[in-house]
Amino acid sequence: MANQAGLDTSMLEGVKDKIRRGLLPQWAFTDSEIFKAEVKNIFAKTWNFLGHESEIENPGDYVTRWIVHDPVLLLRDQNGQIQAYLNSCAHRGTKLCTADFGNKKTFTCPYHGWTFNLSGDLIGIIAGNKVYGEEMDRSQWSLRKIPKVESYQGMIFGSLDEHAEPLETFLGDMKWYFDIMLGRSDAGMEVRGVPQKWIINTNWKISADNFGGDPYHTAMSHRSTVELGISPKDPMYASYGHQIVLDNGHGINMVTALGGAKVPPYQGLPEDMWPMFARNLSAEQLKVFENTMIIVGNCFPNLSFVSPMHGTGGPDEPLTSFVNFRVWRPVSPTKIEVTSWFMVDKEAPEAFKEASYLSYIGSFGPSGTLEQDDAEIWTRVAEASQGEMAQDKDIHYNNVLNYLMGLDRVEPDESWPGPGVAYPTCYLDAISRAFYEHWVDQLLATTDIPANVL
Amino acid sequence: MKLMTYDDICQFLYTEASLLDTRRYEEWLELLDDSLSYRMPVRVTRDFDEPDDIVNDMTFFDETKRSLTTRVQRFRTTSAWSENPHSRTRHFVSNIVVEPGTSEDEAKVHSYFLIMRSIRDRADVEQMFGERIDIIRRVDNRLQLVERTIYPDQTVLSMLNLSIFI
Ligand code: FES
Ligand SMILES: [Fe+2]
Repeated sequence: MANQAGLDTSMLEGVKDKIRRGLLPQWAFTDSEIFKAEVKNIFAKTWNFLGHESEIENPGDYVTRWIVHDPVLLLRDQNGQIQAYLNSCAHRGTKLCTADFGNKKTFTCPYHGWTFNLSGDLIGIIAGNKVYGEEMDRSQWSLRKIPKVESYQGMIFGSLDEHAEPLETFLGDMKWYFDIMLGRSDAGMEVRGVPQKWIINTNWKISADNFGGDPYHTAMSHRSTVELGISPKDPMYASYGHQIVLDNGHGINMVTALGGAKVPPYQGLPEDMWPMFARNLSAEQLKVFENTMIIVGNCFPNLSFVSPMHGTGGPDEPLTSFVNFRVWRPVSPTKIEVTSWFMVDKEAPEAFKEASYLSYIGSFGPSGTLEQDDAEIWTRVAEASQGEMAQDKDIHYNNVLNYLMGLDRVEPDESWPGPGVAYPTCYLDAISRAFYEHWVDQLLATTDIPANVL
Repeated sequence: MKLMTYDDICQFLYTEASLLDTRRYEEWLELLDDSLSYRMPVRVTRDFDEPDDIVNDMTFFDETKRSLTTRVQRFRTTSAWSENPHSRTRHFVSNIVVEPGTSEDEAKVHSYFLIMRSIRDRADVEQMFGERIDIIRRVDNRLQLVERTIYPDQTVLSMLNLSIFI
C-alpha cells in the first residue's frame, strides 16, 4: 500500500519498528523518494521558522526567506502586523522581491508591472482598465498568503497547511525551554545584522540530528579544541546534565558540569541582568538556567539552536555565551542551505553583546572552529550513504545505523523540574530515536482534512 | 606610500598567497601586525536604490592576530577534521590598486581574490571570490598587514566551511 506521497507504507512501518529498536536504515538519509515525501508530508504541513520579529521592526520592513522550495516574502504591514506571502507575482508567477531585506511600501513586478501593497492587495496594473476592463475583480489577484503565520517569543513561523495546529500547540513543551533562551529578558532578543548563509552537501536530517541529539560527537569531532586546551580533557564533558525528549519530535540538551559542580550562573550573562531573569522565568526555569552551561537542541523538523559558552583565544580567555538559531533548508537529498541567526538579549550591555558576537563568530558559522569540522563530517556521512549497500532496502547488507545508546539502559530522572522526559545524561540517543520516530510517523500520516471543508 | 613601491606591495601579496597555499601559517602570522583587524562582512542582495550591499554588523571573520593564531594552532592539532586531510587551495590575487594611506609609511591596497579549493577526492571545485581592502604598513624595513576587509561576492557561500584564510 502506498501513502499519498507514493511511499510503501509497510516499508515505512518496518522502518518505524527498527527505529524503536535503535536502528535507522542508512538509505533514509539520501533516498530521493524519501526526500520528496519529506517535502510533501513534513515541510508542507509543519511550522517552518521564517525569521525574528526584530528583523522587521517597522512598517514596510521586509525580509525574503524560503520554506524549502517556496520563496517567502515576510514583512510588517502598515498596521504593524506581520504578514507572509508567497514571493511570486499573482499574474505570471515571477519572483516578486529579489532583495534579502529592505523597507518598502509597495512591490512592483518587473515582468508586466503589477504592483502590490504591504497588505498584498493588487493596487496597480499597467493600462489596467484598458486591457482588463472594470470587470476583472482585482481583489481576486492579491499576493497569495502563506496560510498560517504565528510567533512565539519573537520567533516567526509559517505553515503551508491552513489546518496546521496552533504554533504553541506544535511547540508544546519546547516553549518552556524557548522561554529560557528567548524570553528571559524584558525586551526579548534581537538579531544582529543579517543571518549568515552557506551551502553544505549533506542531508538536513544529519545536521538536525547532530544538533538535536548528539552531544556524544563533541569529544571526537571537536577534539582539536581539547588538544588546544579550550575544551575540557574529560571525554564525558558534554554528557553531564540532561537530555530531554519533548513531544512532536523536538529535543533539547541542558549540559552542565560533572557532579553538579558550580558553573558560571546563567551562562556568565552579566549580573545586572539576573533580576530580569527572575522576573520573566518561573522558579523552576530559573534554577535550570542557573546551572546550565550549554543548551543545544532541535525544534522539529529543521530548526536547530545552540547556546554554549566559548572563548576566541587560548585557555585563559573568558568564555562568553551566545544564542544561535539556524534552519537547515533541504535543497536536495544531499544539499542544505544553512541560514544562521546570531541573537542576543536586547537589554544586554553593549560590551557583552560584542563579546557574545565574537564568541559566535569564533566557534560557529562556516568559519567557526567547532562548526568547520561538523560540516566536513556531515558531508562524509552523506557521501558514504549513496551507494548500493547503503541504499539497499532489503537489508542484505545489515545497512542499519546505530542509535542504541541508552536504549532500555537509562531511566528518566523523575526529579527534573522542567517538562518533557528528561534523562540524566546527554550521551544518549533518546532524542534521535524520538526525532526519527516522529519523522516516520509524519511520512506515514495521510492528511485528515476536516469533513466540513470537503 | 612613499616608502614602498607598487612592486613591493605586489611581492608582499603574492608571498602571502603562497604561504597560505603551502600552509606555512606560522610564517604568514609574521606578516600580520599585532594590531591587526581581519574582517569578512556579509554580502547581501539589496534593492536597486540601496547601493550598499555589505552588512558590516555580521561577518564570517572578525579576527585579531590573537584569534588567528588560535585558528592556526588548531590546524596543527591532530584532529581539525576540516583540514585533516588538508584541502588544497590556490589563492589568485589580481587587480591590485594602491592608494596612499593615512601616513607616508602606509598604503591602502585593493585586490581581487579568487580561491579555488579542492577537498580530498571530490571532483567538484569549491570556490570563493571577491575583493579585499588592506592597509599595509612599512615597519622597520618590512611590510605588515594592519587591516584586511574581505568582501565576498556571494550572498550564500557555496563553501561548506571556511577552514582557510583569505
Ligand atoms: S508576472 Fe508579475 S506582472 Fe506579470
Ligand atoms: Fe559539533
